[in-house]
Amino acid sequence: MANLKLQHIDKIYDGGVKAVEDFNLDVQDGELIVLVGPSGCGKSTTLRMVAGLEDISNGHLLLDGKDITRVPAKDRDMAMVFQNYALYGHMTIYENMAFSLTLRKEDPNVIHKKVLAAAEILNLTTQLNKKPGQLSGGQRQRVAMGRAIVRTPKVFLFDEPLSNLDAKLRGSTRREILLLHKRLQATMMYVTHDQTEALTLADRIVCMSMGKVQQIGTPLELYDHPANIFVATFIGLPPMNMFDVTVRADHLEGKGFKAPLDAESKKILKNYVGKEIVLGVRPENLVEGKDIAVKVTDNENLGMNTLVHGHIQDGDKTFDRVVCKLRGWCNYKSGDTAMISINRMHFFDKDTTVAITGKESK
Amino acid sequence: MKKDTDVKTTVDRMRYTKNKQAANLAILAILFDVFYFVNIYKSDVSNYYYNILIGGSIVFNLLFMLAAFLCSEEIKQYNEKYCYLLLAMGVIQFIRIFIIPMAAHNATVVIANVETQVMKDGQFTRCLLYLIISGVCCVAGALIGIARSRKLKAYVATLGEEKRRD
Repeated sequence: MANLKLQHIDKIYDGGVKAVEDFNLDVQDGELIVLVGPSGCGKSTTLRMVAGLEDISNGHLLLDGKDITRVPAKDRDMAMVFQNYALYGHMTIYENMAFSLTLRKEDPNVIHKKVLAAAEILNLTTQLNKKPGQLSGGQRQRVAMGRAIVRTPKVFLFDEPLSNLDAKLRGSTRREILLLHKRLQATMMYVTHDQTEALTLADRIVCMSMGKVQQIGTPLELYDHPANIFVATFIGLPPMNMFDVTVRADHLEGKGFKAPLDAESKKILKNYVGKEIVLGVRPENLVEGKDIAVKVTDNENLGMNTLVHGHIQDGDKTFDRVVCKLRGWCNYKSGDTAMISINRMHFFDKDTTVAITGKESK
Repeated sequence: MKKDTDVKTTVDRMRYTKNKQAANLAILAILFDVFYFVNIYKSDVSNYYYNILIGGSIVFNLLFMLAAFLCSEEIKQYNEKYCYLLLAMGVIQFIRIFIIPMAAHNATVVIANVETQVMKDGQFTRCLLYLIISGVCCVAGALIGIARSRKLKAYVATLGEEKRRD
């Protein structure tokens, strides 16, 4: 397989629009990298630049140390799986999977063995004589993956392959992609706007916004230690609650609430005493307690958890919106007051939106 | 041993690929039949040698094209029955040589008080050639089709046998 390096990659369209800016990434051999971000953040453009379907305006793309920045797409030895499958409707599944190898004029018997092996991996053996129109969305996407597998490329590229599937099929196909990665041990780049896909599939996630990389790290790093407010609110469902607070010596003072600080948090915030920062709290880090009163507006029972929506309450006044993910089955009604505490906090600089880790104070 | 594996793979491949070679030969037979009838209706002499045979030949050509196309599509799917139909059509193409081209080549008409051969040597040779090629294509396509269909049938039967053994 292969090692892929993206060095200071820019994509500037006519008129000076910067779609991707200073993108740097080192994809290790056999690694599954997921590019995640909202629509229009440049993740698909980055993937298309890697595939050779878009020109790279600035920077270098290296595959196994060889500069392939200006190499045409057909000579890059990469296979791309598209959101809309891109299958030939008049060909059978077998012919679709064999097509790229037939164009390369490979021995038909070799093609046959490769197609059967790929079909076996993807559980498509009984579908080979059918046309794409006779298959379900998930099966069609598996065919698209099979077409990529038979080429045995150095790098697999996936551009939102599950977006056309319904929720149930998406889950099963996602597991199939994960199994495929484990089985092939291939270098893969995967683009999605779905954070669940990103968190479950990735060895490392690249979180992007407005054409810029916001954070690169393992799923746990992005979830537990988001680099800035964007990553904090983008990763995690429901998104992280954000409150403007003032740092006091032993607590945080927000609109309508006070939250005590533990020793570690005090250490992190020692240079911010008296200043305003942004406090981030994940809904699952809000537990039933005694520190903060929440006036409930909505109660969603999910079985194992309950999502409680409401506003911070202080006397008759209500303040910031808050979402709590409480354990078990709760039966709050609209207008009830729920008492909660925070068991994990994230701190962000209000001006730069960057996470406060305590290291910057040194 | 390696050759045996290759042969097995080639036959196994037939389960997923069409019999394009035989099907294309049937299409080629249609093409040469078209050349034939275009050539025969474009007579070299101004007094057209026209009788019921020509009318019948028009109908036969239409039927031939339809049947050959149907055979082509079915043979593509390794349908052995249609190979026999194509074989019969190939034989008929050879027989047709003795109906219009031969008869017309031997016949004469009087044009402006001059006895003229209905089908001159050049036209006769072309007609002969087109019918022979069309017939050969039909027979070759049919034979290839029969051979491959039987091979595939036998192979699929062994697969069924293996499954039962498993």
